[in-house]
Amino acid sequence: MANRVELAVGMAREAGIEPARAVGRARVVLQVLGRFATRQPLGAIGGVIVLALIATAILAPQLAPHGAKDAAFVQYLPPSAEFPMGTDQIGRDVLSRVIWGARLSLYVGLVSVAFGVTLGALWGIITAYFGGVADGASQRVVDVLMALPPVILALSLMAVLGQSVNNVIMALAILLTPTAARTMRSVALSIKESPYVEAARAAGCSHWRVIFRHVLPNSVATYIVLFTVNIAYAIVVEAALSFLGLGAPPDEASWGGMLTAGTQAMETAPWMIFFPGLAISLTVFGLNLLGDAIRDLTDPHLRGGLG
Amino acid sequence: MRKSLALALIFALVGFGLSAAGAAAQEKPRYGGILNWYVYADPGRLDIHTESPLSVQQALAGIYSGLLHYDPDDPSKIIGDLAERWTESPDGKTYTFHLRRGVKWHDGQPFSAADVKATFDRVLNPDFKSPRCGSMLKPMVASVEMGDPHTVQFQLKFPAAPFVSAIASAWCRVVAKHILEKYGDLTKPEAQIGTGPFKFKRYERGSVIEWEKNKDYFIPGLPYLDGVKQFILVGVPTQLAAAKAGRVHIWDTWPPMKKTQADELKGARGGEVEVYQAPINTIFLIYMHTQKPPFNNPDLRRAVKLAIDRQELVAKTLEGAGVPCALLDPKLVGDFALPLAEVNKLPGCREPKDQDIAEAKRLVEKHYPNGVDVEAAVRSVGGYVDRAQLVLSQLRKIGIRGTLKTYESAAGFAVYGKGDFTFITTQDRAMVTADPGDVFALVYTTQAGSNWGKWSDPKVDELAERALKEPNREKRKQLYHELQRHILTGTPSAVPVGWVEGWFFQDKRLRNYKTSPTIYDHSTFMKVWLAP
Repeated sequence: MANRVELAVGMAREAGIEPARAVGRARVVLQVLGRFATRQPLGAIGGVIVLALIATAILAPQLAPHGAKDAAFVQYLPPSAEFPMGTDQIGRDVLSRVIWGARLSLYVGLVSVAFGVTLGALWGIITAYFGGVADGASQRVVDVLMALPPVILALSLMAVLGQSVNNVIMALAILLTPTAARTMRSVALSIKESPYVEAARAAGCSHWRVIFRHVLPNSVATYIVLFTVNIAYAIVVEAALSFLGLGAPPDEASWGGMLTAGTQAMETAPWMIFFPGLAISLTVFGLNLLGDAIRDLTDPHLRGGLG
Repeated sequence: MRKSLALALIFALVGFGLSAAGAAAQEKPRYGGILNWYVYADPGRLDIHTESPLSVQQALAGIYSGLLHYDPDDPSKIIGDLAERWTESPDGKTYTFHLRRGVKWHDGQPFSAADVKATFDRVLNPDFKSPRCGSMLKPMVASVEMGDPHTVQFQLKFPAAPFVSAIASAWCRVVAKHILEKYGDLTKPEAQIGTGPFKFKRYERGSVIEWEKNKDYFIPGLPYLDGVKQFILVGVPTQLAAAKAGRVHIWDTWPPMKKTQADELKGARGGEVEVYQAPINTIFLIYMHTQKPPFNNPDLRRAVKLAIDRQELVAKTLEGAGVPCALLDPKLVGDFALPLAEVNKLPGCREPKDQDIAEAKRLVEKHYPNGVDVEAAVRSVGGYVDRAQLVLSQLRKIGIRGTLKTYESAAGFAVYGKGDFTFITTQDRAMVTADPGDVFALVYTTQAGSNWGKWSDPKVDELAERALKEPNREKRKQLYHELQRHILTGTPSAVPVGWVEGWFFQDKRLRNYKTSPTIYDHSTFMKVWLAP
């Protein structure tokens, strides 16, 4: 997309690199990242944390010393060299479960947000563009969904759907759709009024051509921010559902589920709460920092020109 | 003068000493107060004859009376409740119960033998599903007849030693004929009209069950308490928190505390409570449905039986408070139980488990080379979910991959009763009496009330029936030994993991509360009082 390349080119120029003479795209990317880190140090920290999360999730089979469900050890062992995060109430290695839990959290977070935010965004953009009765009716639907407290809505959905990881993803996606729809709708409304869209319509472009070539590309920045921020939200809601016993089944390695088991042994084995809790907090912290930095970067002055 | 003063002093001292000793020996019961207790789940349906969970029996214990019951002052003895006396015919096949006069139902209607006949006609009806009372009585009782309005006779099919303890059980309570006629069944709170020391006052689902004192109870002067409140507390952390905060007076129900929890409680309440360990005549079972794949295949059932590490389950989930492997516990039934030395050498139980696990893997691979996926049910009460996860972890080693499906307590029992499951990862069954035949009548015979896996082995039915009828103790013992060996070496639907024990406590202000061999027979609270 046009303005993205412009952005990269602009940054490269500012960094003093002639794009035509770039030794390799990799060098450009690294220096872009370097710029990013200097401009948004907090965002860089967030980025590192998120990268660590992604690496842990992808490399879980190699990193985790034991299986997530192997109850082969002595129960309630405190952290030691052999079990850096101790063992839980039936003798599973907490470190392994935290590592596998990263995979579950990331999987649930990414997939539910991908579905929920994307669906919501498309819904919001399309109904905003066409306006009229369709827009009005769908916004009333969004109103109803947004009026329900999110965790309550998620709990009811899980009670109906039944406990499984895929149902958690479905419930979270349903949760995320309305807000995404509303946010992207307002973005689409403002783009709809802009001069280049008017010009395109005047030149005879069909509605769908305008949507795909003008509205969607200009909503991408907001979409990216929405996406990043909602991953953190989805991870927290999944943890809350599992904590309440209505998320992933109890033997899955879910950070929230580990917290439930930990509350039953707070005095005997506080490490069972500490480490999954730390994992959740760190993940959300990192994602929020990164999301804030991306939002700052995609400031209006960069989003404007299409040329 | 000094002599008489000295004498007076001596008399005073002796008198004081004697009265102090007397006071300690014979503390007078104090009237008043509400006993606070808890129940581990919402009972749901309140019909004492059709339901089987402890939560139901607990909710109704003080409301109803039986013909006989376990003496609240000494629960090892059976004494009359609604029957003031009873006689056994010389051939042991007829029991005559002479009923008390002047007993009234909680709604004021008079009690008579017609109510007893209506009760047992209901329970013994072949089409009526009564997993507790019915399971025990149906094999033994031929008919129930009314003599005059104050006499009832039971005709047995054969002289049956366990009959008296079965009739005395908390599950074989007498209900009102006019209430059965009015409501059809007893599932609703409004139908809870009994003759017991307490009236059913209130049932707020998910919250509390309340009893109030029956002022017209047929034993004058009882009960001492004004009422009993059972808070519905689901989940051990909530129960433990209530105990630590002093919001309940006793813990003498299921699930028992584990050692770490008992220690936490002692730390919180110190000298105010008495903490003790006890067995609860309850067996921890794993069920497989014998009419659905994969467990309709006996090889798969044998594989599960071999692979389950009973010792690990008892060590981790009961914190060692239990007797692994046994089908009958020597602590509860004496020498009717197979000696533990023999039991612990049997396949499935023997350690180390390498040979058994290898054999189990081979059995699974023979039919499912890539392993098999199974849906595993568990009720989310007590420590069941932890047990379930450990069971599934053990079965993963032999290629059986279980996905856990959790149920709320009453919903789970409904599912089990209907047979809508493939595998139940854990379910405790508490015995109704201390008779060795109980576990077979409740779980292992074809007609057993908790034979949810629909297992049918004619040899088990035959041995159980012969043992029930056998009057000679030594021969009866041999029959029960043969029965245990047959089940432990076979492929039953229900795998015995072990007998459950645990820790309990009593608030020291509670007086005259005695525990019984089973968990069902000490919760009427009719002779219990609270000191200030």
